[in-house]
Amino acid sequence: MIEVAGLRIVLPPSVVAVDGVDLAIQPGEFVVILGRSGAGKTTFLRALNRLVEPTAGSVRVAGRAVTGAGAAELRAARRQIGMIFQQFNLVRRASVLDNVLAGRLGYVAPLPSLVGRVPPADRALALECLGRVGLGHLAGRRADTLSGGEQQRVAIARALAQAPSVILADEPTASLDPALTTEIMGILKAINVERRLTLVVSQHQLETALAYATRIVGFRRGRVGFDGPPSAVTPAVVDAIYGGEEGNPPRVPLDKRDNKEAK
Amino acid sequence: MKRAALFVALLVLAWVAWDTGADPVRLARGLPWIADFVRRMVPPDLAVLPAACKGALLTVEIALLGTAVAAVLALPLGFLSARNVAPTPIFYPARAVLNLFRSVDTLVYALIFVAAVGLGPFPGVLAVIAYTTTSLAKLYSEAIEGIEPGPVDAITATGATRLQILRFGVLPQVLPLFLSYVLYRLETNIRAATVLGFVGAGGIGFYLQTYLRMIDYPAASTALLVTIVMVMVVDALSSRLRARLV
Ligand SMILES: Nc1ncnc2c1ncn2[C@@H]1O[C@H](COP(=O)(O)OP(=O)(O)OP(=O)(O)O)[C@@H](O)[C@H]1O
Ligand SMILES: [Mg+2]
Repeated sequence: MIEVAGLRIVLPPSVVAVDGVDLAIQPGEFVVILGRSGAGKTTFLRALNRLVEPTAGSVRVAGRAVTGAGAAELRAARRQIGMIFQQFNLVRRASVLDNVLAGRLGYVAPLPSLVGRVPPADRALALECLGRVGLGHLAGRRADTLSGGEQQRVAIARALAQAPSVILADEPTASLDPALTTEIMGILKAINVERRLTLVVSQHQLETALAYATRIVGFRRGRVGFDGPPSAVTPAVVDAIYGGEEGNPPRVPLDKRDNKEAK
Repeated sequence: MKRAALFVALLVLAWVAWDTGADPVRLARGLPWIADFVRRMVPPDLAVLPAACKGALLTVEIALLGTAVAAVLALPLGFLSARNVAPTPIFYPARAVLNLFRSVDTLVYALIFVAAVGLGPFPGVLAVIAYTTTSLAKLYSEAIEGIEPGPVDAITATGATRLQILRFGVLPQVLPLFLSYVLYRLETNIRAATVLGFVGAGGIGFYLQTYLRMIDYPAASTALLVTIVMVMVVDALSSRLRARLV
């Protein structure tokens, strides 16, 4: 589903954010990316739909080339990749429904869409996605009147409206409290299971990562330092991912990992 | 260091005062003339009120039409000269053009357009358009440069085209600001349009200047009063609208 080969990303002035990553992700996997701050998680995720331009290497998603694609090919590749952000990134002044409808932009005819014409089928799909995250009743509200948890659910609905085969989520719960973390991760997990969607999620919280992932990828200084199932994440692995440098230890001790969050 | 700067500043000011012939004594000697001028302006000659109102209406029309057209023309220019959305090869020339044309004032444009298309309100409208387009484009581009990048990323990630990204990721963020800038420009353009008549570009200024030339001070004072009321009314309406935007 996702094939990454030799990915290297140098950000200006000369930060090597991703330093030679090879990764193949199968359909239906729930991959959680771990790594300390600055390890390159965000940069890696944003390279998968080319919000960040890779310096070298290749990315293919759902059979389409992302790297090396022309403008139209890139848009076609992007529309099958939903993306969820830490800060939700809704258009604040727009209604909840309009935010979800943005997920259809890659499908509708561009010119009519500019003057606000949306085919009924797309509108129906957007409403259905909004219902899927339990917010059908808020369709007409302005996005910035919603709580953080609700905004992130709208963002999930927007990604679902893309009818994607992959969803990327960069620390989707980092701005939310623990109860909402469970809720949002639960929705992502349900989508992953129901629709066999492939998920790639970065997480700061080890405990949460282990509860939801089918596969853990540990980033360290722009490289993959660990790749395996959650059951293989031993204290030594945690130390390899997080340890050895000053500060920033894992936020949750490993011994608490079998908990109520795993549903 | 500070003292030296202060000393230099004072020196420059003193020289400028000398060079412009600034002379308090001369002003004092002129004061009675101003008093005389004001005395001769009362009572205002209300017979010219209809004519003055017609002129004022024309001034408002010039400002309104000029600002409206400029508000639209400035849109593409604003986007093309915003660093975060314009392609780099376009951004720099667009910025340069803006800065070049922005340094010319409405009145200067009016002189040019009167020479080009003749007397009347039309060259006034053209002058307002010429100045306001570039000045709004500059304000627009600064608003665009101040947007949150997050929603733009999100719209980009859906597979939207460049125009869709501008329309759905950028425009909703800047539209209220744009409207507020347009209203603000409308207010300043009403004032600018008042003087346009002085150079033959129509409106209340034309009447004011004519009455002054004819030494008909009571009529001039009517025109002046109408101007003041007009500006105050437009300001009040516009600032009320602006308050509701943000
Ligand atoms: N826009 C940028 N310009 C230059 N360097 C950047 C930029 N964004 C990130 N970096 C650098 O790239 C490296 C990887 O950053 P990245 O944001 O991908 O890490 P991360 O794992 O997501 O960290 P965090 O957990 O704090 O979100 C860091 O050294 C960071 O300082
Ligand atoms: Mg990050």
